[in-house]
Amino acid sequence: MSTVLEVKNLLKNFGSFRAVDGISFSVPKGKVVGLLGPNGAGKTTTIHMLLGITTHSGGTIQCFGKPFPKEREHILGRINFASAFNHLQGRISVWENLLVFAGLYGVDKPRKKIMELADIFEFRPLLKERFWNLSAGEKTRVILAKALLNDPELILMDEPTASLDPDIADKTLSLIERLRVQKKMSILFTSHRMDEVTRICDSVIFLDHGKIVAEDTPLGLTKRITTATLSLTFDGKKASVDEFLTARDLSFSFSGPSIVRITAEEHRIPELIFSISKTGVWITDMDIKKPTLEDVFLQIARSGNPSLSPEPSQRARN
Amino acid sequence: MEVSMDVFFFSMMNVTVFGYVSLFLSNIIGTSARHYIFLGVLLWEIIRVAQYSMSVGALWNIWSRNLSNMFITPLSIFEYLFTHMLSGAVKAFVVFAGVSFIASVVFDFHIVTLLGWTNLVVFFLNLLIFAWTTGIAILGLIFRFGNRIQAFAWALVALFQPLTATLFPVSVLPPTLQRFTFLFPPTYVFEAARAALSDSSVNWNVTLVAFSLNLFYFFLALWFFAAMYRISRTNGQFARNEG
Repeated sequence: MSTVLEVKNLLKNFGSFRAVDGISFSVPKGKVVGLLGPNGAGKTTTIHMLLGITTHSGGTIQCFGKPFPKEREHILGRINFASAFNHLQGRISVWENLLVFAGLYGVDKPRKKIMELADIFEFRPLLKERFWNLSAGEKTRVILAKALLNDPELILMDEPTASLDPDIADKTLSLIERLRVQKKMSILFTSHRMDEVTRICDSVIFLDHGKIVAEDTPLGLTKRITTATLSLTFDGKKASVDEFLTARDLSFSFSGPSIVRITAEEHRIPELIFSISKTGVWITDMDIKKPTLEDVFLQIARSGNPSLSPEPSQRARN
Repeated sequence: MEVSMDVFFFSMMNVTVFGYVSLFLSNIIGTSARHYIFLGVLLWEIIRVAQYSMSVGALWNIWSRNLSNMFITPLSIFEYLFTHMLSGAVKAFVVFAGVSFIASVVFDFHIVTLLGWTNLVVFFLNLLIFAWTTGIAILGLIFRFGNRIQAFAWALVALFQPLTATLFPVSVLPPTLQRFTFLFPPTYVFEAARAALSDSSVNWNVTLVAFSLNLFYFFLALWFFAAMYRISRTNGQFARNEG
């Protein structure tokens, strides 16, 4: 599989502060790679370096096999960027904005292209509106259209759904998924919404303090947390359950007289449920919460858990 | 709306007010004082409008959080500058034509007749280049320091109005300051313009000095801008400009 973006030992120092500390990763053609991490982890700085609006202090960036920023104009003509934090010119209309960017990207038949995108993102009635009159959701759709004007082979998306309500965010993600399949685009995606990342990313890179601390598929990352939380509602003596769980040295807590939450290795849960039911209590309801990408994120953000570091075998597979 | 007010409306009002002031002065101290002031006001608009257009044009990109969008396209930094320079030149030409028309119709001040076409073209070009130069330098400061210094975009150029003897002859300034004023190309233009009121032949020597100084400052401003842009991208300010 060919690679559209290859980053090696990328460094960024702001004075004595190292914001990005020698990271290396690649984005294969047609894949969505998530760049995650807590605030200040270096995600946005990385994206800014990839776009050339912040210079890098060390390392190399290769896009479509060409060095960046040496081949800046050629590369920037083939990529694009969408972010909830970058808008278009507010005092001119949506149409005028898109026409300007179509010109800057040298789009062939710009009017036809803009109408096509206006139909895809359902904003044709807004074309004559000034950009600053649009709602947050409408602005996001126009920004995404701008990001597709030049039929980019790689799109960098920095929290494209931030500030959107769940319905509009879901529609936006569906559009991204559709476009990715239709146009075989590669995407480097950052978001703080782990459900979104799980949904659209083929692989995920976790950054913390400027370093890559984990790199895997979303499923692979969640598998690295081996414990799950079992919540049981029971009818019977609380003392019996307490005694049983204490004897097994499990981590648990009661919420009320008949609900217990147990943290245990995921593979032990079926046996645990069976054994508890043998103690004379009647299990009336149960819920198993498996680890999610959010849990992985929280572990990294709170402790920088080294157990999440990429394993050599998995790195090799990636 | 804001741009129309700042560029066109302000210029119209400026010319109208100074038109009446100069009429008033002509009754007290004579026609030449009236011409000096009104001529300076009209020519100053070329610098003000072209420089304002360049600097505030870039600020609009920042205020709209659109600046980085421009720089992630294949657009080069010098193409970006050139576009602003062109826009500034067009606005300066339109405003100068407009205020000259008002001066002619309302105040009986016919700038073309008084100076001649050649002088007018030469003065316009020299003042335009100076406006571009200050615009480029201020743009560099905006890229480097962000909208913290946005007031420079419309205020800093006013510093040059007394320093280039826009509304009065250089001779009225203190001797030390007089030497200093001749460091700036517009001083030569305003002095030549005042001289042209009595003799409209083109003073090519003065024009050449003004043009040479303009070229020197223009390339100095480009170098300064490139340095500010580089620093801004290195320290991350450029990406942070949009807040």
